[in-house]
Amino acid sequence: MLSRAAALSSQSTKTLVALARATATSAANNAAASSPDTSIVRPVRQEPGKVRHGFIPEEWFQAFYNKTGVTGPYTFLFTLSTYLVSKEVYILEHEYYSGLSLAIMWIAGIKILGPKLANVLDKQVDNIEKEWNEGRVQEKASLEGSIADEEKAQWSFEGQNFLIAAKRENVALQLEASYRERLALAYQAVKNRLDYQLEKANAERRISQRNLVEFVVARVKASITPDQEKQNINKCIADLALLAKA
Amino acid sequence: MAFGDYPAEYNPSVHGPYDPARYYGKADTPLAQVKLSELGAWIGRRNKGPQAIAGAISRAYWRWQHKYVQPKKAGIAPFLHVVFGGMGLFYIMNYGKLSHHKNYKYH
Repeated sequence: MLSRAAALSSQSTKTLVALARATATSAANNAAASSPDTSIVRPVRQEPGKVRHGFIPEEWFQAFYNKTGVTGPYTFLFTLSTYLVSKEVYILEHEYYSGLSLAIMWIAGIKILGPKLANVLDKQVDNIEKEWNEGRVQEKASLEGSIADEEKAQWSFEGQNFLIAAKRENVALQLEASYRERLALAYQAVKNRLDYQLEKANAERRISQRNLVEFVVARVKASITPDQEKQNINKCIADLALLAKA
Repeated sequence: MAFGDYPAEYNPSVHGPYDPARYYGKADTPLAQVKLSELGAWIGRRNKGPQAIAGAISRAYWRWQHKYVQPKKAGIAPFLHVVFGGMGLFYIMNYGKLSHHKNYKYH
C-alpha cells in the first residue's frame, strides 16, 4: 500500500514535469516561430485549370464576357478565322486538309477513349496516393490506439485509488474492531479485579463475623456455671410440668 | 548570381520553399491594370536584360506547369496546348514556304 501511495505521488509529480516540459517546448517553438514564419505562404498543389473544348483556357472566354457577352469569344474566333482565310494569311493548302482529318480522328479518339483512360489513370493516381499515405495512416491509427490504451490505463489507475480508499477503510475498520476488543478486555479485567476485591472483602467480613459469634458463644458458654445449668434444667422441668398440667 | 542559383531576392527564411513560378522581386502594377497613359513608364521600368527575359519565360512556363501539368488529376489540356502551340509555331516558321501555296493572286 505504501508503494502504491508512492506511485500515486510520483505520478502527480510526473504530470507536473510533463506540463512544465510542454510549456517549455511550446515557448521554444514560439521563440523559433518569430515574425517571418507567419508571412510564409507555402505553395499548394493546384486544381487543374478550367478549359473549354479540351484546351482553351476558361479565362480567355471570361475576358470577353464583360464587353461582349457569352457569344463574344465565338464571334471573335469566327470573324478572325474568316479574315485569316479570306486574306490567305492562313493558307488552305494540302496540310490543312490532312490536319483536318487528323483533328477528326483525334476528337473521335478523345471522345471515345478519353473517359475510359481517365477513369483508369485516376484510379492509378488514387492507388499511388493511397500507398504513399498508407504508412502515415497506419502510424496514426497505431498512435491513436496507444493513446486509447494509455487513457484506459489512466482510467484503471483511477480505479486503483478507489481500491486503495476501500483498503484504507478496511484497515480502519480492523483497527477500530481491535481497539474495541481491547477496550472490552480492559473493562473485563478491571471488573474482574474489582469483583475479586469485593468478594475478598465480603469473605473477610463473613469470617470475622463468624469468629466473633463463635468467640461470644464460647465465652457465654464458658461463663455458665454448673449451678446455673442445674437451676436452668429445674426451671425447664417446672415449665414442662406446668405445660403438662395445662 | 550564377547559373543554377536562386534569384537574388529569394530568401528562404522569409519566402519559404522556392516556387519557380513566383516573382520574388518588388511587385509592379500588373499589365492588365496599367492605364494607357502610364504604359510608357511601365515599359521603361521593365528590366530588359537577357537574364530577366529568361526568368520571365521560366516563370510563365512554371505557371503553366502548375496549372495544367502538375495537378493531381490533370486532363488532356496540356498535351493539346503543346500540339496547337506547335502547330502555330511551325506555321509561322514555315510561312515563307507555305505562302507559295496561295490559291488566289488578289484578295
